[in-house]
Amino acid sequence: LFKVATECSVVLCCRVAPLQKAGIVALIKNRTDDMTLAIGDGANDVSMIQMADVGVGINGQEGGQAVMASDFSMGQFRFLVPLLLVHGHWNYQRMGYMILYNFYKNATFVLVLFWYVLYTSFTLTTAITEWSSLLYTVLYTSLPTIVVGILDKDLSKSTLLAYPKLYGSGQRNEKYNLNLFVLNMLEALWQSLVVFYIPYFAYRQSTIGMSSLGDLWALASVIVVNMQLAMDIIRWNWIIHVFVWGTIAATVICLFVIDSIWVLPGYGAIYHIMGQGLFWLLLLIIVVTAMVPHFAIKAFSEHFVPSDIQIGREIEKFEALNQVNHSEIPMRTFS
Amino acid sequence: FIFDFFNARLHFGCSRMQMYPLEMEGNSNPKTTNKPKYSKFTQQELPACKPLLTPEIVIAAFALIGALFVPIGLASLHASRQVVELVHRYDASCVPVDDKVGFIQNSRTDKTCTVTMTVPKYMKSPIHVYYLIDGFYQNHRRYVRSRSDKQLRYKSAAHLTSDCVPEGDTADHAPIVPCGLVAWSLFNDTYTVRVNGVVTQVNKKDIAWKSDKNNKFGKNIYPSNFQKGRLIGGATLNESIPLSEQEDLIVWMRTAALPTFRKLYGRIEKDINANDNVTVVIQNNYNTYSFGGSKALVLSTASWIGGKNNFIGIAYLTIGGLCLSLAMGFLVLYMVKRRNFGDPSNLSWNR
Repeated sequence: LFKVATECSVVLCCRVAPLQKAGIVALIKNRTDDMTLAIGDGANDVSMIQMADVGVGINGQEGGQAVMASDFSMGQFRFLVPLLLVHGHWNYQRMGYMILYNFYKNATFVLVLFWYVLYTSFTLTTAITEWSSLLYTVLYTSLPTIVVGILDKDLSKSTLLAYPKLYGSGQRNEKYNLNLFVLNMLEALWQSLVVFYIPYFAYRQSTIGMSSLGDLWALASVIVVNMQLAMDIIRWNWIIHVFVWGTIAATVICLFVIDSIWVLPGYGAIYHIMGQGLFWLLLLIIVVTAMVPHFAIKAFSEHFVPSDIQIGREIEKFEALNQVNHSEIPMRTFS
Repeated sequence: FIFDFFNARLHFGCSRMQMYPLEMEGNSNPKTTNKPKYSKFTQQELPACKPLLTPEIVIAAFALIGALFVPIGLASLHASRQVVELVHRYDASCVPVDDKVGFIQNSRTDKTCTVTMTVPKYMKSPIHVYYLIDGFYQNHRRYVRSRSDKQLRYKSAAHLTSDCVPEGDTADHAPIVPCGLVAWSLFNDTYTVRVNGVVTQVNKKDIAWKSDKNNKFGKNIYPSNFQKGRLIGGATLNESIPLSEQEDLIVWMRTAALPTFRKLYGRIEKDINANDNVTVVIQNNYNTYSFGGSKALVLSTASWIGGKNNFIGIAYLTIGGLCLSLAMGFLVLYMVKRRNFGDPSNLSWNR
């Protein structure tokens, strides 16, 4: 039965009891590693909805039992199309990117601290003040992540509905896979090396104090990590602008505040080091050097090996120049 | 392609999302609709910029970085070349015997040592005199914590020496001011500078940060019980001078970031001409021999880039050159393999 069913593109079952409905879903779910979705509107669909990975209930003619048992509920069957093609696609893209980005940004920061340990006779001194280390995940890099994870979209609703096959990018794991993870980690490694070693070589035999150099490392890490996010943001609205640039400004303010507390060893360090021209030159070259590989890889892959999503983005931008062919969708959609 | 390129269409526009929801069929009665109130934010239709990387932007970005960085690199290299720096390592030559540790720890040996240097170029005042120490981990975790900042500022906090162990209290449990290993290991070599035989004064005022002198070290705190234990780690302090004026101590207590570091000893406020002989009489008191460190004397002029350091100039030139070559590379690639933007025939199911 299973072999026959999987050979067909559509299978119709009629006169099915509720338990058999659940059994059909279980058959597919247990024998393959595909995701299953069940949609139904009546009480006899409840067991099927609960058996599937994603259960969708319709709130309508036959009452509310299906809705209470489901993960998502809608008003009409045709709303399934935007649920999958639009919201499902957006959620996949956002989640995939956010998970990869979170690993990357924490790895970058921790690796900078790690390289310093090599030069403190392997004792675990942190040049970056403890307050800054704490605030790194709480304040310096958290808010842009959250805002981008909520608001960023790679393609607009109309494009996704016009080209349903774009949904296939999620099915092929294009936004979250091992290759992307390894690439992310390599970028974290490179950027941490840049952030650590450029000031190291510049200040190697000078009078620089631990707190001053720590401030430079902290500020450089935060700027680099946020620049990486900025380069990957697809849709810039005013909220994202405020949070990304505002976070960098908040970091600078926090560094000033921390270095104005006389009890801490870093008292006055940021005022002193920001007055030197070398600090600003180093900041500029650190940010640019860290970003060059990412930018080059992005430019190369987006132009020479474009993914469908990339072509979709270009279609959106240049639709006045090219004729957009709407592929056939039997249901009338609302946009 | 060339035509497009020179048109320089920067496809960086912000667009208004012109997507308002169509009315659903059969809905018009406000009493029976459950539709939530429309807002751009909740429907995720905020107006947004959708920047896209086009060949023009990529090449322009790399070329701009290259064009900006190469001059900065050249200016930095030039500034670094202008700095005149004399470095003379003296720890090995100043102790002629084999048992260096014993020599240094013996308080009766004569530790005077004379060092001569010839100035290669004209040095404009102020000329900074530094001591350069190598192999001294001022950033060691236990060392960095071994101090009491509260004690340095407030007389009433003199007893707060818990972090300073083992240099916290004397044998009779009296608090040491300033306590801790950082203060205990204060550098104590002294330098007397003669230029062409004439004694030149080294100004030891204002060598510490103003913020430290005013706010971190108290004006009414005097050293007490300092370096009175069995093990002498470094200099002794004049007990009648308050801590805010003990500038050598303040400079030393700003712990260095890396194991090779220099600290400001003083400034020479006269110019030194080329080919002048600078003779420095050193009191070689400080013990860097027991841990394999080294000491050196540095005379250096100042510039906006700090001391003599070619690294920043070389780094800028390298990155600038790399970006220019990437711009060239991308230009060639774009001319060789061109594709149209936004062409649906490139979608994977249409190819």
